[in-house]
Amino acid sequence: MNLLDIRNLSIELDTPNGRVLAVDKVSLSIKEGEFRGLVGESGSGKSLLAQAIIGVLNDKWHVHADRFHWRGIDLLRLTIDERRALLCRDIAMIFQEPMSCLDPTTLIGEQLSEAIDSSQLSGHFWQRKKQRKEAVVKLLHKVGIKKHSQCINSYPHQLTEAICQRVMIAIALAGRPILLIADEPTAAMESTNQGQIFRLLANLNQLKNMSILLISHDLENLTHWTSTITVMYSGQFVEAGSTEQIFNKPMHPYTRALVDSSTKANLQLPTKSRLMTLPGSIPILQHLPIGCRLGPRCPRAQQTCVEAPKVSNFHGHKVSCHFPLIRETAKKHSVKHEVVKGTI
Amino acid sequence: MLTFTLRRLSLFLFTMLVLTLISFSLSFLFPGDTVINHSGQINATATELAQLNEAYQMDKSIFTQYGAYLTHILNGDLGQSMASQSPISNEVLELLPATIELSLVALLIAMLVGIPLGFIAAINHNKASDNAILSFAMLGYSIPVFWLGLLAILFFSIGLGWLPSAGKISLLFEIEFVTGIQFIDILLSESPYKWQAFSNASSHIILPACVIALAPATIFIRLSRAAMIEVLAASYIRAAKAKGLSFQQIIFRHAIRNALIQIIRHVGLQFANLVTLAMVTEVIFSWPGIGRWLIESISQRDYTAIQSGLLVLSCFIFIVHILTDFIYAALNPLARGNHHGS
Repeated sequence: MNLLDIRNLSIELDTPNGRVLAVDKVSLSIKEGEFRGLVGESGSGKSLLAQAIIGVLNDKWHVHADRFHWRGIDLLRLTIDERRALLCRDIAMIFQEPMSCLDPTTLIGEQLSEAIDSSQLSGHFWQRKKQRKEAVVKLLHKVGIKKHSQCINSYPHQLTEAICQRVMIAIALAGRPILLIADEPTAAMESTNQGQIFRLLANLNQLKNMSILLISHDLENLTHWTSTITVMYSGQFVEAGSTEQIFNKPMHPYTRALVDSSTKANLQLPTKSRLMTLPGSIPILQHLPIGCRLGPRCPRAQQTCVEAPKVSNFHGHKVSCHFPLIRETAKKHSVKHEVVKGTI
Repeated sequence: MLTFTLRRLSLFLFTMLVLTLISFSLSFLFPGDTVINHSGQINATATELAQLNEAYQMDKSIFTQYGAYLTHILNGDLGQSMASQSPISNEVLELLPATIELSLVALLIAMLVGIPLGFIAAINHNKASDNAILSFAMLGYSIPVFWLGLLAILFFSIGLGWLPSAGKISLLFEIEFVTGIQFIDILLSESPYKWQAFSNASSHIILPACVIALAPATIFIRLSRAAMIEVLAASYIRAAKAKGLSFQQIIFRHAIRNALIQIIRHVGLQFANLVTLAMVTEVIFSWPGIGRWLIESISQRDYTAIQSGLLVLSCFIFIVHILTDFIYAALNPLARGNHHGS
């Protein structure tokens, strides 16, 4: 059964020049025990989608969806408070920028202990405090912080960014969530720490059967850990499928370019030649193209692309493109050649 | 924390030096003889004048003169009042506590009313209650204090007869002078009518304190509203929401402390404003404080009293500034570190 099932979720932003459609009809579904990656350039609305799921966007943002189910419960029928109460119990989120997401005037230990639900504690009220503290120490050990007493008694500004991020992860794990949304959890870390964090997430996924939605812009790194991947571009759904499908047989020109732009794909390139990238950059919110938003940058764009394409499903591999790279997937080399020619 | 304290103390020392320099130079700028302005002895004989010149070292260079003046102040000798010919330090010791009492009560009222109202406005941002509180703040800020004082006397004292219009306490009660702060003196006294005196003193202080508190309270409303709106938009509040905390938990555990930190800094600044309002209000309500005494000395051209009064009042305001700095540091862990240039 699908844990989370979202169809056609749109997010609009109020600006002085009217509403802007920041996220345009994105669908996302997560199964129980699934490790899903959400990939896209920065500014493609990944974090926005995550925050909309958990319901912490402020009044400026307006969220609509055709379907929004959580474990079979239709969330659209609930009020915002009921929805948040339900989701905050089952879903936890690791935010970007850990420093600004921790209260600067409260001790780390206090912030951690208030995230622990009192239903997890078994003893009488006079034993609660001790149990809470033990739970906090346990959580800190779990995320790889060894000096727990020092960490508990410090303020966020006294710790490094990487330790703050670990504390954020500990806070997210405190609620024993069913789904963990990790929004670039390793952005501020060096690669050894990154590996530790990813291994921790993979362990949780395998041993505790925790579903994880990992948001990242680094497709290559993501493929080591995830089982399925969803790709977004500029607030639009691009492609979704298993990691092998996305990485080995991308159907959307954007995913193709994303895979080709990784360093591994560029290994055969002669020195001092240009890397394979799409021309231009991601459009800003005020000047979004109509139809498929990749249009102006797409090597395969044609006149029909001014209308947004419908999502087509090829054996669980969903793609939103008028001209998907289907037939050519057998002859992979020729496709690559074609795309390269298109980009130069 | 020790370096923080030392830093504040050295700041206090140097500011006091500059203040004495200003009050010293005032003696030269006021009309009349400098040494008479210093000492306030207008009826001095020739021999007394010679003694004074000797004491203030008027024949030496200006630096020695300043040193002599400083020694006089440090010994507690602020000169004599030109009008009453009694030592100014005695008068100040008698009057300053009354002003401290009045202004602190007013500050307390302003904070207790203003800050929660501002928080309520921020939580109901862009709703009817927000607009109502903001318009009240605009109105309160625009009313001049002398007019408000007269209106309050007219309405509450003369019209309704609820509260007395003048003085610190009814003349019926005899309270021994110990600290000068009325409420502490009453509690220390052995009088059998202690609690009657206490309630009488409270009814006397309500009206002037509320009149003084109105304008600072409206400023606190705006400050706390702005601070709270900023804090509520911060990402740690969003993270706390995602943690599953209820709205009340978020407000009381995270939002209020962070918003208060931003407000406390301004309390010290607003206090100077509040003391100015208190001076005017003391005249209207015949409150026997240093503000009324200072305004009377100005109208009587009592230069020595003006000089010393300014020195004492600014010293008091500065001490309150430092105290708010300490409260700020106690609330804000970021300020306690050894940051240079703060």
